This record gives sequence, C-alpha cells and structure tokens, in this order.
Amino acid sequence: MKVLIVDDFSTMRRIIKNLLRDLGFTNTFEADDGNTALPMLKEGGFEFVVTDWNMPIMQGIDLLKEIRKDPNLKHLPVLMVTAEAKREQIIEAAQAGVNGYIVKPFTAGTLKEKLDKVFERLG
Amino acid sequence: MANQSEPHISLSQAKALVAHLEAQQIDEANKIVESIDFSATTDRIMFGQVGELTRELHDALLNFQNDTRLVDMAGEELPDAQNRLNYVIDMTDKAANTTMDAVDYCLPIADKLMQDLEAITPNWEGLMTRDLALGDFKTLCHSIDDLFTHSKGSAQELRDKLTEILMAQEFQDLTGQIITRVIELVKEIESKLIIILKVCSKQEAKASTSKKQRKNIEAEGPIIDAESRSDVVHGQDDVDDLLSSLGF
Repeated sequence: MKVLIVDDFSTMRRIIKNLLRDLGFTNTFEADDGNTALPMLKEGGFEFVVTDWNMPIMQGIDLLKEIRKDPNLKHLPVLMVTAEAKREQIIEAAQAGVNGYIVKPFTAGTLKEKLDKVFERLG
Repeated sequence: MANQSEPHISLSQAKALVAHLEAQQIDEANKIVESIDFSATTDRIMFGQVGELTRELHDALLNFQNDTRLVDMAGEELPDAQNRLNYVIDMTDKAANTTMDAVDYCLPIADKLMQDLEAITPNWEGLMTRDLALGDFKTLCHSIDDLFTHSKGSAQELRDKLTEILMAQEFQDLTGQIITRVIELVKEIESKLIIILKVCSKQEAKASTSKKQRKNIEAEGPIIDAESRSDVVHGQDDVDDLLSSLGF
C-alpha cells in the first residue's frame, strides 16, 4: 500500500515512517506540507494519507478539505496525527471527513489501533 | 495640582450680590453672577492633568531615546535570540536523527539475534528432552558456538549505539541554557512594554485584551496548559470520546 506522510518536521516524518514500516507499510513517501502533498496525491497511486495539522503554506485541515473536494481523491483515507488538541478543531476535522485523529505525543500502539480501525471501517 | 478648593466668588462679590438682591436690583445682581467664572477651577484642573501627562510622555520618550538597552535589544539581541532559537531547532533535529540512526542500526542486530535463537531452539529443545540425534547435536554445537561469537560482537555494537543515544541527549542541557537566556530577554522586553502601556492610555490597554480571544479553529501547536483549559482535550482517550460522541 502506497502511503503519503505529510509533516513539516523531518524527524516526525521519520518516526511515523519507521512505525508504519514496523506495521508492514513499507511503501511510504513524504511531503513537508499540504501544498507539496496535493500534487503528489493528484498524480495518483496513494491509498492512505497520514498528515499533521499545523504546517506552513497549506495546513493539514486544508489538505483534508482539498482531498474531499477532489472527485479522484475524495475516498482516500486520511489519518491526522497532530499536536492540535482543541475540541473545536477535532470537530472541524471530523466534519471535514477525517478518518482518524491522533494527538501528539502518541505511541506506536495508538497508531496501530487507529490504523486498524480505519481499515476495518473501510472493509 | 489644583486640588485645593477655592471659592468661585470673593466675599466682597457675595456681599454686593446680597445687597443688590435685597435692594431688588436684579440687573445689577445678574451682572455679578454672570461675571463669575465657574470654569476657571475645572480648566485649571484639566490643564494641570494635561500638563502632567505631557510631562510624563515627554520624560518617557526621552528615557526611551536615552535607553540604549532598547536599541541593543531591537538591533542585536532579538536577531540573536532568533538565531539561538534556530540553533535549538537544529540541535534537537540533530539529536533526534542521531538517536533514530542508532535505533535503525540496532533493530536489525536485535532481529538477527532473535532469528539465530529461534534457529537453534528446536535442536536445543531436543537436547533438553534427550531427544537429539548425534548429527543434530553436532550442528547444535556449531550453531551455539557461532551464536556465542556473533552475540559478543552484537552486544558490543548495541552497547556502542546505546552510548551514542545517551550522548545525543546532551542537547537538553545546551538548548536549556539557550532557551533560558531567550526567556530572560523576553522578560526584559515585557517590562519595557509595560512601561509603554502605562504611558499610553488605559483605553488602549483595555482594547488589547479583547483581541486575546483567538479563533478556536486556528492552529495553536502543542498545548502547554491543557490542565487549566476546558477547550482542549487531555490525551487520546478524550479525542476518542469526542469522536465517538460525534458518531465516529
């Protein structure tokens, strides 16, 4: 499965990449904000997106909205992994169609649990 | 300041006024009343206050002009603080990558050890239950011998990498010192800003507090005061509860 990891901090991308690798997702790609991620996603082939919220140029919430607006991408599962912890934000993300929401700092166990849940729902 | 109360009319004016009134000389009496300047005292008070404020403002501006600390802060220390904070980002980035490099190096070593142990387990169990053919026994001996040699090297490699991880944590001390200095600078700027705010009108100070209300949806970064706030979640369980209440 081709996965895109979107985060402006390379260390966090690396942590998520390593955790995903341990969970069997070895085909991962990286982008440092929504603006870089969107063209990559539009090129096609990605089946899953893990994104941060707070990033320069295009934030994660806007990337999520763009994904849901695009007829070719709207069914793409999106997991948000972010330090943003305001209730309003989580509600906003849910309304925008996020498939899972993890607050940082997080554990490998949480990531696995949420991934399982996302794919279980997608069948 | 003109705080001392003074009569609006003199005693002679009052006596003349009473005399005119008693004599029914209304026009004369009115002239005296009209000649009294009631605004004089209030004007004096107001002018006094304006004068005082002007003096305070003048002194404050003069102090700012003479305050070389402000010049130093704006010209040198603030850009320096930015460089220092960027250095903190670089150091933490480097430490995180050094640690992750070491972990990436160690994981295959741990995996190899586990594989080697799993490989000899069947013959080892056979030996322990006295159910092992001579040929298998010889294989087991060689495997264990290899494992000993290999494990020693692996343990040494793991030890070296663990030391590397340990040493990578020194960023905490160095970045802590840098951040402490930046905090001191921010405190000093805060005290200068308070002086400016005091000089400026109280109305402006009040107006600025109303701007404190942030847009709830705006990205804020890590929450450092979650315990004292009701608008944020406290950990992943809260997130899950909130999402499930929304039908997730």
